[in-house]
Amino acid sequence: MKITVGQGSCGIAAGAAKVSKALTDALSGSGIIPGITGCIGMCYLEPIVDVYEDDGRLHRLVKVSENDAETIADAVKSGDMTKLASLEISDEDKEFLAKQTRIALRHCGVLDPESIEEYISAGGYKSLEKVLKGETPEQVIETIKISGLAGRGGAGFPTWFKWNAARQSRCPEGGKKYLICNADEGDPGAFMDRAVIESDPHGLIEGMLIGAYAIGASEAVVYVRAEYPLAIVRLKKAIAQAEKAGYIGENILGTDFCCDFRIKAGAGAFVCGEETALIASLEGERGMPRLKPPFPAQKGYWQMPSNINNVETFANVAWIIENGGEAFAAMGTPDSKGTKVFALTGKIRRGGLVEIPMGKTLRDVIFDIGGGIKNDGTFKAVQMGGPSGGCIPAELLDTVIDYKKLSATGAIMGSGGMVVMDDSTCMVGMAKFFLDFTAKESCGKCVHCRIGTKRMQEILTRIVEGEGREGDIEALEELCSAIKEGALCGLGQTAPNPVLTTLKYFRNEYEAHIKDKTCPAHECRALLRYNIDSDKCKGCTLCARNCPAKAISGEVRKPHVIDQTLCIKCGQCAANCKFGAVSVK
Amino acid sequence: MITITINDKVCQCEDGEYILKVAKDNGIEIPNLCNDESVAVYGACGICQIEILDDGKGRALPKLCRACSTQAHDGYVVRYDTERVMRSRRVALELLMSDHSGDCLGPCKLNCPAGTDIQKYLKQISAGDYHGAVKTIKQAFPLPASIGRVCPHPCEKNCRRRHVDKPLSIAFLKSYAADKDLAENTYRAECKDDNGKSVAIVGGGPAGLTAAYFLRLQGYSVTVYDAMKKMGGMLRYGIPAYRLPKSIVDRECEEIEALGVKFVNECRIGADTTIEKLKDENDAVIVAVGAWKSMNMRVAGEELDGVVGGIDFLRNISSGEGVKPDLSGKKIAVCGGGNTAMDACRSAIRCGADKVYVIYRRTREEMPAEDIEIEESIEEGVEYKFLANPAEIIGEAGKVKKVKLQLMELGEPDASGRRSPKPIEGKFEELDVDVVIMAIGQSLNGNGTECLEKTKKGTISADEYTFMTSVDGVFAVGDATNRGASIAIEAIGEGNRCAQAVDNYLNGRPVAVKKPIVSRRKDEEIDFSGREKKERIVMPTRPAEERRKDFDEVNLGFDDEEKVKSEAKRCLECGCHDYEDCKLVRYANLCEINPERFSGKKNDNPIERRLVSIERNPNKCILCGLCVRVCDEVAGKGILGLVGRGFSTVIKPEFKDDSVISKCAECHKCADACPTGALKIIK
Repeated sequence: MKITVGQGSCGIAAGAAKVSKALTDALSGSGIIPGITGCIGMCYLEPIVDVYEDDGRLHRLVKVSENDAETIADAVKSGDMTKLASLEISDEDKEFLAKQTRIALRHCGVLDPESIEEYISAGGYKSLEKVLKGETPEQVIETIKISGLAGRGGAGFPTWFKWNAARQSRCPEGGKKYLICNADEGDPGAFMDRAVIESDPHGLIEGMLIGAYAIGASEAVVYVRAEYPLAIVRLKKAIAQAEKAGYIGENILGTDFCCDFRIKAGAGAFVCGEETALIASLEGERGMPRLKPPFPAQKGYWQMPSNINNVETFANVAWIIENGGEAFAAMGTPDSKGTKVFALTGKIRRGGLVEIPMGKTLRDVIFDIGGGIKNDGTFKAVQMGGPSGGCIPAELLDTVIDYKKLSATGAIMGSGGMVVMDDSTCMVGMAKFFLDFTAKESCGKCVHCRIGTKRMQEILTRIVEGEGREGDIEALEELCSAIKEGALCGLGQTAPNPVLTTLKYFRNEYEAHIKDKTCPAHECRALLRYNIDSDKCKGCTLCARNCPAKAISGEVRKPHVIDQTLCIKCGQCAANCKFGAVSVK
Repeated sequence: MITITINDKVCQCEDGEYILKVAKDNGIEIPNLCNDESVAVYGACGICQIEILDDGKGRALPKLCRACSTQAHDGYVVRYDTERVMRSRRVALELLMSDHSGDCLGPCKLNCPAGTDIQKYLKQISAGDYHGAVKTIKQAFPLPASIGRVCPHPCEKNCRRRHVDKPLSIAFLKSYAADKDLAENTYRAECKDDNGKSVAIVGGGPAGLTAAYFLRLQGYSVTVYDAMKKMGGMLRYGIPAYRLPKSIVDRECEEIEALGVKFVNECRIGADTTIEKLKDENDAVIVAVGAWKSMNMRVAGEELDGVVGGIDFLRNISSGEGVKPDLSGKKIAVCGGGNTAMDACRSAIRCGADKVYVIYRRTREEMPAEDIEIEESIEEGVEYKFLANPAEIIGEAGKVKKVKLQLMELGEPDASGRRSPKPIEGKFEELDVDVVIMAIGQSLNGNGTECLEKTKKGTISADEYTFMTSVDGVFAVGDATNRGASIAIEAIGEGNRCAQAVDNYLNGRPVAVKKPIVSRRKDEEIDFSGREKKERIVMPTRPAEERRKDFDEVNLGFDDEEKVKSEAKRCLECGCHDYEDCKLVRYANLCEINPERFSGKKNDNPIERRLVSIERNPNKCILCGLCVRVCDEVAGKGILGLVGRGFSTVIKPEFKDDSVISKCAECHKCADACPTGALKIIK
């Protein structure tokens, strides 16, 4: 009998640590100590406790609270698993995982992230051994080429190509090559990389070591955002374990291959996810993008040949080595191979981490796996790729997940953020949200991004505040095209995408805000107008008594009215009215 | 070596050299703001964008590139002026200007119709360099002693010093410097070698003389034709001698003549010559005939003996060569509230009139005349009849006897913002008068200009930017054109710009002369609270009792040079010290941007004087990072750094650590590298 409690940051936030402690207490004396795993991927069901019977049968308990500890302990001690029935995951929810194909996430929620033994017993570090003892770096690169693995950080650049460029790049005398992992996951709504590090740090380390071997790097660095403290703790622990076990350091596994490993915690700037800014930050400089060329493969960290890949990219590597490039390439579309992890959030019924083979449709992810819209709402759009991405509307739900097909919509694959929106989301407000983000996160270096995004944000702000004017859409379009052409780095160049795609698919919403001063989604407060229907109003006075602005007046048992000049549009009246007399336009 | 072409020019260079550098080595300037050869490429400004139309293999690169960091390869075909590049560059400049808070030029210069560099000559005056000051002024117009005396000085009306105490006495400082200069070692500009082309100018007033001056400096053979006996136009024949002594006009005209401008007087267009004839004999003609016809009031009795036009009255006095008409024992009514009315009423007093009335249909508040004129006229004994309008001039035996006044009251403000007068029904008043002077406006005497298209107002129609009339090669400026009569400095500004237009025209360049695109701040954005108050200099005048008897100059002139210098020192120096060298404003003009296009919130940070001898104005900073990089890479100090993120990023001591400033060696390399006026070396 084995019990694990899913304790990624998401689980802990939902109370998993408390559940774990309560379980430990309840099970004391039974000889069973609850173990930990990382993120299982079903955020909406956290905390999750997995009870494995000795024959391997799994009872997955969801939305567990501390109060359930006794019940679980009782069942475990008595061996009567029917006692867990009320906590067990429903068949419908099981589908969430059952319909996925997990490669990058293969160990997430399964292994104890703090135990190298578990990783090794699951076949870990075998791939590293395989390449170090039996393959040349060129062969490794060839395998990766065959696999078709592309950068999972967003740009989708072929991984083998970067590795090969770094491999081919000559190292100045006395210098060394670097392999860097970009774990500065900054897109709002994206948490794939965090989950991988928290749940499978050794998987990342192994992938990186293989990469380091392939390019000839003797130092590997993980640049991880400081907002991921648990990921840093687990990764540190894993590095120490791997060092002790001889997977890191001098003459790894008795070969000539030497590689040091360390972590650098980023200081919170979004732009440091851009590879040249990341290098500047690593060097102790202000995180600002540098000009390319030279590319990092030529002159990167400390002007040395360097290769940078994102967490998810590395998380696939050991699997590819183990199973062969062809196995990976067997999944997906002609353009995009393998699987992709998405962080499914927003107005979705079942949110969490989803890994599926390329080639599935957005509908598969959102409806089949995600279960559609929360509270039976109507799907409006899905935002992909964070601040660099765009919105894909309902009519394009059958778009295939593939780098080229997604780019054709105006959105991008991105790092995998997938924010689902229903018809209560204002698309102008959504675009403003992302522009608020990019304007704030612009590093300030280039003119187009620093001032251009600010001006776009100002225009969007006035539109949602009902101050939009004729010509604003055109000004936005002009700025979008200029910023795309003129910004220095990828972040700036893609910053207009949220606006461009909403303008493409939801232009009518912009026009409604500007011309009619209405928000079709009823979300922009400044444009709302609450009214009391005098036929429906019974004069119960409930709205008037609870109006924080004292904007409602009327006599008892007579229809009430809202003074629009005082109304602060908080919606309390509509929420309180028992007769449905308050309407909002 | 490889070969690339940049805007059609074939350039040889090493493979992999940066295109911006290749261009520079080949004498091509690709606009850029953040590049400097002494430091590593940076790529922030995005101004140096280029389009690579052919990568040497027959393919165009899909993206725009930054010339500063794009390496040249054999066969590259590069352009930095394609529509796509220009559009992107314009947006970058417009964005920069939208967060660039500063005054390229002071409001004085911006509001001077002639664009005189007032701030500069005030500085020269403050240092006692009057010759230099006149040189500065004469880059805008050739008549400083005259204009200093008579200009209603829009510069002073817009002087920001008025928000502290009082505006500077700009006009009188100008005439002070000009008088000094005329008295000793007069500044005379150098003319370029004769270029073999000739221009005829019709009218020797402020506009004509100014155009003549600048065309002559460019090497043209210039002849000015004027109907009157002497040059000067309205300066001589419209403005009374007590404001502008004729000897001053003489001297300034002589200076123009001395450059080789030919003066032909008593030659009237339409009678003694024609525009067509002049056009045939010259390469271009400028018509600057002025507006010499007094407008009628359209009331009964205007034909009576004793009714005279304002400018006719003034011309009559001025033409008298010292002999003034005798109005003793006479009662005079001057109708109108402008400066011509003032000149007329005060001249009438000087001609010995018994009683002089000024009749104006609104109140003193609304009078367009200069306040000082009204003030001084009252001191001299002029009596005002406000809220009254001539309804009829009553005569006896063909001579003026009385003027009947319709009494008025003020109604709603009109389009000009002034409250419009309305007659009070049935209320009239009669004044016994002998002479009625109509000073309600002036218009073009169209004789001789029939061949030119006219506006609805009856003025000559001339293009706002090219000054070209309906006849090719014939230009027109000043009171005779478009909006009609205005102040002298307005005509002078047009004369100057018209000279440039003619020069452009005769050299096959685009003719239009536009005002520069500048960055400017609104007065209300500026905090004047910390400024020390200093008293404005007062022009001494002759006592009213004495001056009302003759036409000698009312103003005595400043006698204390130190006071003059300290008045000039009151200047707040609003205009940017770096205007001449600023790359931002140069490119803004070159690319003809609209600085207001993307206007929004501007950063507002305090001016810093932390660096020992450098004043840093973060609001003019465009974050090109040159100072930061030069301090680090060239000076080896690394004192400066970028602080903050996004729109509010600002340059400060590295890591906001003030103590690093002590490392500053005052090498000033940062200020030298700054492309704008954000860094200023202070002594």
